[in-house]
Amino acid sequence: MDTEALIDQLVQNLQPAPPRAADRRIALGLLAGGLVTLALIVLTVGVNPALDQVIRHYTFWVKWAYALSLGVLALGLVRTLGRPDGRLHRSLWLFALPVVALAAIGVVEMAQVPPSHWRAMWLGQTWMVCPWLILALSTPLFIGLLWSFRRMAPTRLGLAGAAAGLASGALGAMLYCLHCPEMSAIFVLTWYTLGILMAAGIGALLGPRLLRW
Amino acid sequence: MREEELRQLMVGGLAGDARAHAALLRAIAPMLQAFYRRRCAGHIDIEDLVQDTLIAIHERRTSYDGRRPFTPWLYAIARYKMIDLFRRRRQTCNVAELDDILAEEGFEDVVGARLDVNRLLATLPAKQAEAIRQTKLEGHSVADHAGAAGLGESDVKVSVHRGLKALAARLTGGADGH
Repeated sequence: MDTEALIDQLVQNLQPAPPRAADRRIALGLLAGGLVTLALIVLTVGVNPALDQVIRHYTFWVKWAYALSLGVLALGLVRTLGRPDGRLHRSLWLFALPVVALAAIGVVEMAQVPPSHWRAMWLGQTWMVCPWLILALSTPLFIGLLWSFRRMAPTRLGLAGAAAGLASGALGAMLYCLHCPEMSAIFVLTWYTLGILMAAGIGALLGPRLLRW
Repeated sequence: MREEELRQLMVGGLAGDARAHAALLRAIAPMLQAFYRRRCAGHIDIEDLVQDTLIAIHERRTSYDGRRPFTPWLYAIARYKMIDLFRRRRQTCNVAELDDILAEEGFEDVVGARLDVNRLLATLPAKQAEAIRQTKLEGHSVADHAGAAGLGESDVKVSVHRGLKALAARLTGGADGH
């Protein structure tokens, strides 16, 4: 086919793109994935029966804010790496802020109890399942972002996959707060972060395969 | 075509103006041809690659942010599609043919590159050309060459620096002329 004919064909029925079309598509992918994740939580592990009391405790909001801030930062990376000329820049250090803040809260909490309690605070009741559940719950969000990426033009596929994995891991963890019975900062710092990083790592491995265009 | 004109066409196309979008694709097709022709050796159907890239640009046009420059976006996509093609080629490359391809293409590339470099160096003053040849191509150190030629080390360094600068200016100037 000659190039002229191809161009004529491409511009037929051209639809206007809404303003901020790329951002909208990311939001839509996350919304769809998030609804599936919510449904999975309700149908499998269940919402924490004591949720109405748990949300009155500051730890719930600490967990939630930790996961949300990591998710928002990772979505910034998704946006950047979705552009073909997107480059990582100095704002990467921002990821340290929630981690350092949570670690500080963890230290304060540890100082308030005898050291014999530390192990129980760190492992909680659910350390063996928490990272895996976060990883599993991130999957629908990751698939949603893969759909968003189909209109983006990532050129560094490993990094773009890692950013998508990080974002879906963090937002998956944010929704997992609805179930999670744990109430200590060092638990969240260890096991939430581990689950989120596993999602990022798998995203980095899958990126070059799934994001190719 | 100028960056600003291309950007305007792109923004128009994103707003739904089919004529602007068509004009944009028509304007960038020859730019892509030149881009690929300069970078791809034989065995590659340039027109096919250009069309692939036009389709990608069209399908992923919402990844362009109107507040950013257009040309870097365009060439980043062009580069990606080229590398992707190379990658796919290598994956489907028959191992039995690999030796032939290496012998044929590698040799030609090396000889071709050598010829190009010699031709470029011939355009420089002899002192600069010799300093570049000895330190950058033959692998001698600056001190070796300074000793052999009876020059000071800083003299050699300055010659290399000036020579490379002149070559760079010639190469970037030459690229626009095509």
